[in-house]
Amino acid sequence: MPNFKEKLIRYQYLIRNIRDFFYSHNVVEVVTPSLLVAPTTDVYIDSIEVSVNHALSKSSKFYLHTSPELEMKRLLSKGSGDIFQICQVFRDNEHGHINSNEFTMLEFYRVGFDMHQLIDDIKALLISLGNDDPVKEISYAQAFYDYAEIDILNSDFEGLKNILESHGLNSDYEWIEDIQMVLFVHLIEPKLKTIPVCFIYDFPKQQAALAQIDGLVAHRFEMYIKGTEIANGYQEIQTSKEYRDRFETELGKRKSLSKSIGSLDEDFLDDLKVGLPSCSGVAIGIDRLFTSLSL
Amino acid sequence: MNYSTSQFKNGMKLMLDGNPCSIVNNEIVKPGKGQAFNRVKFKDLITGKTLEKTFKSGESLEAADVMELEMQYLYSDGEKWHFMDPGSFEQFDLGEESMGTALNYLVEQDNCIVTLWNNNPISVSPPNHVTLEVIDTDPGLKGDTAGTGGKPATLNTGVVVQVPLFVAIGDRVKVDTRTNEYTGRA
Repeated sequence: MPNFKEKLIRYQYLIRNIRDFFYSHNVVEVVTPSLLVAPTTDVYIDSIEVSVNHALSKSSKFYLHTSPELEMKRLLSKGSGDIFQICQVFRDNEHGHINSNEFTMLEFYRVGFDMHQLIDDIKALLISLGNDDPVKEISYAQAFYDYAEIDILNSDFEGLKNILESHGLNSDYEWIEDIQMVLFVHLIEPKLKTIPVCFIYDFPKQQAALAQIDGLVAHRFEMYIKGTEIANGYQEIQTSKEYRDRFETELGKRKSLSKSIGSLDEDFLDDLKVGLPSCSGVAIGIDRLFTSLSL
Repeated sequence: MNYSTSQFKNGMKLMLDGNPCSIVNNEIVKPGKGQAFNRVKFKDLITGKTLEKTFKSGESLEAADVMELEMQYLYSDGEKWHFMDPGSFEQFDLGEESMGTALNYLVEQDNCIVTLWNNNPISVSPPNHVTLEVIDTDPGLKGDTAGTGGKPATLNTGVVVQVPLFVAIGDRVKVDTRTNEYTGRA
């Protein structure tokens, strides 16, 4: 099966070229634990729970990491400087033809970079991987103006509900960010299918996740390749208090959706008390990158 | 009966905005930070139009009582086109607006697929390939058997198809009904 072996070798080169890129930019490769004491707080991501046996038939619950984000941020807070990691991550309740319960993630952080500098860094990475397709960069709000004539940042919950109804879509959603997302999936994503590489930046503040908020927007971005979401990045919030607030908000939403709630990772919040250095970070789905770029 | 998004598959017939529709394409989209959605392309079986909808995964739609039956085209009285189910001998009729492109290809006794919604006919699909007779075309050029050029020919249903120069009045030709293209002499 020459094609199968050829594919394995192409994948090997992808991984090797990614490593070469970071090594030559003095970004340090790290390995962080994948067994965590607390599940993710993300509203729509579920951790896989595992039971670990100790001596004397004691067992305790752990959670497989859904991304190495928090563990890498602990390293950043201890002065690691620029770091990257390529690892398997695990998520429960995933479904769809391009979703899986286990996938390979590249996560990296650049200290002192703002969101746009990090986007430029990803563009340089793509070029070093042999992809020289044109790259489009457009703000979330501009994409909605251009592709759907919607003022997404200044529309309230009721206004967006009316827009959903005018498209004949169900408007039974809990929060404004859910409506922003369904409109994005319905009206914007299909338009991105003809664009080789597209960065969407400055998400509405309600979709900030762990990104810095600036007025109506959060300095968060996603990269789409031919309409498929490949990467998600932030200009990171820096204080332990901000992390606690964001986590608690997310847990509150999980609770109202009757989803499982874990405790917060207090060790992480303690480590972050010295503050995260000013930095931006991104997670890139390697399996999707490999298939979309046909590298 | 309802179908949930997790049961959606291509070809499934569902009710949408009061019309029976068929799923043409079903894509599950799970934004990294969001809930899962199904982005679905439908064909409205009455208007023939394509429409796109996005559902929260877990939503459900009512099944449409749609059947596709092979029937024989009997005749047209000018206003209605009459068909018969050869199994039950039950007859059905459709108006011109429901005939679509089938008008161009059906001759009496031909078999075709009639779509029934709640036992009422809503559309007709001709076979992919039909054989029709040329009733009018310019005289062919002798010796042009390679079929390099082309010319219009009117067939016995009234449809006009581009044919090679050697095709003459009275010839029987095969036509692909999906593209309205000549595919050969019968």
